[in-house]
Amino acid sequence: MINRALLPAGGGENMLHFTDITVLERQRACIKWQQEQQQQQQVLQQQQEISYFTELTGVFQQAGFHEGGLSEVVTRSVKPDPGLVDNGWNNDHVVGFGVGPPYNNGSGFELNYGSISRTSSCPPPPVAAVAAATVKGSESVVSDKISYGVGRESSKKRKVDDIQNNSKVDAEEDTRDKRIKGCAEEGESKITEKNNNKNGRNNNTNKNNNSNKESSAGNSKDNSKVTEVQKPDYIHVRARRGQATDSHSLAERVRREKISERMKYLQDLVPGCNKITGKAGMLDEIINYVQSLQRQVEFLSMKLAAVNPRLDFNVDNLFAREAFPACSVNFPTIGMSSDMTNPAYLQFNPAQQQLVTCCGLDMGIDPPDMGFKSTTSSPESIPETFLDSSCFTQAHPPPAWDADLQNPYNVAIDQGRQASFPTQPFTGSIEASNLKMEM
Amino acid sequence: MASKHVIATRHTKSIKNRFASRFLRSLLRMKRSDRFGGSRSNEGVRKRSTHRIKMAAYASMARAVGPSRTWSRALLFKLRNRARIQGVLRKRCLVSKKNKKKRVVRNKVIISREPSRTDTLRKLVPGGDSMDICCLLEETAHYIKCLATQVKVMQSIADQSLL
Repeated sequence: MINRALLPAGGGENMLHFTDITVLERQRACIKWQQEQQQQQQVLQQQQEISYFTELTGVFQQAGFHEGGLSEVVTRSVKPDPGLVDNGWNNDHVVGFGVGPPYNNGSGFELNYGSISRTSSCPPPPVAAVAAATVKGSESVVSDKISYGVGRESSKKRKVDDIQNNSKVDAEEDTRDKRIKGCAEEGESKITEKNNNKNGRNNNTNKNNNSNKESSAGNSKDNSKVTEVQKPDYIHVRARRGQATDSHSLAERVRREKISERMKYLQDLVPGCNKITGKAGMLDEIINYVQSLQRQVEFLSMKLAAVNPRLDFNVDNLFAREAFPACSVNFPTIGMSSDMTNPAYLQFNPAQQQLVTCCGLDMGIDPPDMGFKSTTSSPESIPETFLDSSCFTQAHPPPAWDADLQNPYNVAIDQGRQASFPTQPFTGSIEASNLKMEM
Repeated sequence: MASKHVIATRHTKSIKNRFASRFLRSLLRMKRSDRFGGSRSNEGVRKRSTHRIKMAAYASMARAVGPSRTWSRALLFKLRNRARIQGVLRKRCLVSKKNKKKRVVRNKVIISREPSRTDTLRKLVPGGDSMDICCLLEETAHYIKCLATQVKVMQSIADQSLL
């Protein structure tokens, strides 16, 4: 069944057939629903359906329908119609089936049902509503079959019928699965899908008819939900051999895979998490790490809060005495450049000293340190710092500084750990100096 | 893959830059206000300033990330509402204390079961209460990254200001 559902989708370059088929499918579902209500006119309607069926087969043959795969499936799952296998959906045989019912009521009907159900499950994944309709139809068909099954003589045929039912349910499920999976891609996936279908069918044949019915009803609802949720981005679900194929377990598997993927990512992020196996331990480690980071933030903010007043004090009182020795002590190796820049700052600071608030100044002092660090690592940018310092002495309007300052330090950024940081103190200092200017 | 990596690093770098600039700006603002308000080195004042710096750090992180993430959105929302709520509470305090007490008692939620690990994580990650587990883990990953960046930047600022 499912091969039939899959193969047209896999080899379907022409989407027109799909739409045709879905329309046909919808019509068929409606007709089937009517059938159950009016069982007297079944023969006629079945003949109608057979006409549909012949159309369908035509369509399939147009769509490059694989005979080999079909015959395989049919031989595997459906015993009662070997003729179909031999002739590959010949119209003659179908007509023969259509004629069948008058001869022997019980079994003939069932066979017809079987064939019809197969055709209904044939088309590639239909719209959800249509699928739901088919589910309804199939349920009613099942019930009908049960009622017929009471009057049936041969238990073997009933069994065959059950198999057909189950396979039909499977087909529906699998069309859903396929929709979750997105578009069928390669032959490989088809093959795996085939295997799944085999497994699923075997599982389902073990169950009772009633339970199947219920599960199919439940699944249809949940499936539609899942497809609604997952429609925008297709998630590839590939059930391996021996794994359950019903939607619940598929969705659960997807969820678990997602979680484990994220866990892996987190494992890379959190240090010391590589050796821990098991999700609980990993979660513990993650929690600890987040807590430690938050505590670190708190500690650092405390440190900053403690540090800032001291800096204020320094800047307010001991600025001229301490700050510059500190500067020169920090960077004795630079020699010339430090000599050149210190006077610049000396010129700069007395001019501003009265106006400048503490915040402006200590931030103004920090940047040169950073600047020197970067210049020691990259000698090319030394002359540019000179330029900057000269800018400072001349007290040019800020916009020009911004461009000048940003460029060399952006060049120097990639070299160290503090790397991307130095640009920021400068912007801060520039703002501060802006403020000074305004004041 | 390589290009992706480059983009990712650039992205984190830009986040780092944005966070650093915002944080420094807010620090400056704080200092200025402290300066003008008069700086006393009491224990209470220090505690308050610590809290303020911490909140500034979180806020600047959330602003740097922007509203694209759930945790940053939650954090921004909380920060935006914090001032309003505090103001309201203060007013209420001034108006009547009884009402507030009653309300607090009514709002108490008694949790009977032991909080699981996921719940702990939910509490740690801002806005984690309303996430499913997949989402929570994703947000946690991003949050951890951002926190690490934050810690790095704050560390460098602290080192620098200690010099």
